[in-house]
Amino acid sequence: MSESNFDSVISEIIFDTPAGEIQEVYNSLITLAGENAKDTILDVIEQYNVKNNIPIDVDGNLVILSENTKSGASRYTDAVRGVSFTVDHLSKKGLDVEPLQDAASQEECKKLHEQLTEYTAKNYPGDVTIAVNPIADSQKLEIIIISTKYNPANFWNGDWRSKYTYDASSNQISGSIDVHVHYYEDGNVSFKSNKTVESTPATDVVDAISQIEGEFEKSLDISFTELNEKQFKALRRRLPITRSKVNWGKAIGNYRLGKDAAEGL
Amino acid sequence: MSDAKYDAALDLLRRLDPSKTKANLQNVISLEPDLAENLLSSIDLPLTVMADPKAANREFLCCDYNRDMDSYRSPWSNDYFPQLPAADLEESPFPSAPLRELETLCNDSFDVYRDLYYEGGVSSVYLWDLDADTDFAGVALFKKSNVSSSSWDSIHVVEVTAQGNGDFNYKVTSTVILQLDAADAAAAAAMKLSGNLTRQTERDFRVDANSAEQTRIAHITNLGTLIEDTESQMRDMLETVYFEKTRDIFHQTKNSLAAKNESNKTAQEEVIKGLQNL
Repeated sequence: MSESNFDSVISEIIFDTPAGEIQEVYNSLITLAGENAKDTILDVIEQYNVKNNIPIDVDGNLVILSENTKSGASRYTDAVRGVSFTVDHLSKKGLDVEPLQDAASQEECKKLHEQLTEYTAKNYPGDVTIAVNPIADSQKLEIIIISTKYNPANFWNGDWRSKYTYDASSNQISGSIDVHVHYYEDGNVSFKSNKTVESTPATDVVDAISQIEGEFEKSLDISFTELNEKQFKALRRRLPITRSKVNWGKAIGNYRLGKDAAEGL
Repeated sequence: MSDAKYDAALDLLRRLDPSKTKANLQNVISLEPDLAENLLSSIDLPLTVMADPKAANREFLCCDYNRDMDSYRSPWSNDYFPQLPAADLEESPFPSAPLRELETLCNDSFDVYRDLYYEGGVSSVYLWDLDADTDFAGVALFKKSNVSSSSWDSIHVVEVTAQGNGDFNYKVTSTVILQLDAADAAAAAAMKLSGNLTRQTERDFRVDANSAEQTRIAHITNLGTLIEDTESQMRDMLETVYFEKTRDIFHQTKNSLAAKNESNKTAQEEVIKGLQNL
């Protein structure tokens, strides 16, 4: 296999991984591809962590990676904690932590972070991490909420990620919500949902987010019921229309005779 | 090929997106080509449908068990399509004549079963001989797709072995691949439930038969009963996992009802406190 093919195979596999299972996938890939593949795999995991806004433990505080918090080749920042750091992307730990010099919009971020912490404490039973980051050269803020519940002992993991851009000049908010549940006992079942949040007025940022996320949650509950009632039931019946199990054996052809007779054939 | 690599491949495939198993399988094989044969025979993929030109274009299902090179054997005409050159066909697997009789009976019977439970869809059964004359193995396949992008594929791999004194052991490994999609363009939201569940069942039955025909009827009755029971249990299992379990896990990350319940509880406690103070 050529090097570029190999890179794209590794990349496709890692980007397909549920957020809570990167370590296991890393182990399997090393077993399959060998220690030589380590650097390639770790490079892709870094891209994965940034794209999927994975929380990183920096001196005991969880902070979220994003494109907006990249500063230089391998450093990241967090406005609310006022730190910059490098990352061990496999263990998800911050290293080489330094205080952040530019603290211009830190106060505003901290205030919003506090309000969001209060909101998520009530609505998010999972392990919650929040990021509020200034977007360079603009009056915009990036807001990210990650809520996870991992239970590998019982073969399931769940992730919530909502991500918004708040524009202070127009008081508008836009973004997206991604939900993923993975259940893998005696199989492999995945539930994925995503929603694009179009530009919405947000005089109160937390109120607007609460409204958007509450409605999305409600709509998912309705979709679950509809998928069960309509699509699932239409695929395979619980029992035949006769309401009894099949009478196997020589006489099974009678069902067909009965059906043909009913249809007047 | 080492066991560690095979295990690593299986572990990967149960973690990656189950709606893309085919692509993931190809990727894993490209990392370790020696695993190809074992993985292709142990990982179930959604079934594909072909039409049999020698049986009025009646549809049949294709999987690794009825494949020879790039052709698939139809249970209706017992021919491979696309047709194989005579020289290749001599090497192609076919069930022995007595087993083909049982295969034909299985296809007719499971076709009735399919109609009763699926009200549509396609079914196919393929059997192959085992070393002992009395024994055989096979696969029963069902596929149903809706107009929307939802689909059900069930794959039951069976092994039937004589235990002596007319007792037979029936072993079934069943996999159901279920995919459900809901896209709501107005709300700019999409939802997808996809995946597969597998379970194994084993049962012993007595076959009291004085003729080849009676033996065939006994086998199809036992196989039918076993597959019907297994599939019913799996349908319940799928319903629980897809609609209760995943929803419950989702609400363990986000739950505004919990907040409401919490504030109701606080309000209730205050009322009680107020009453106690009267």
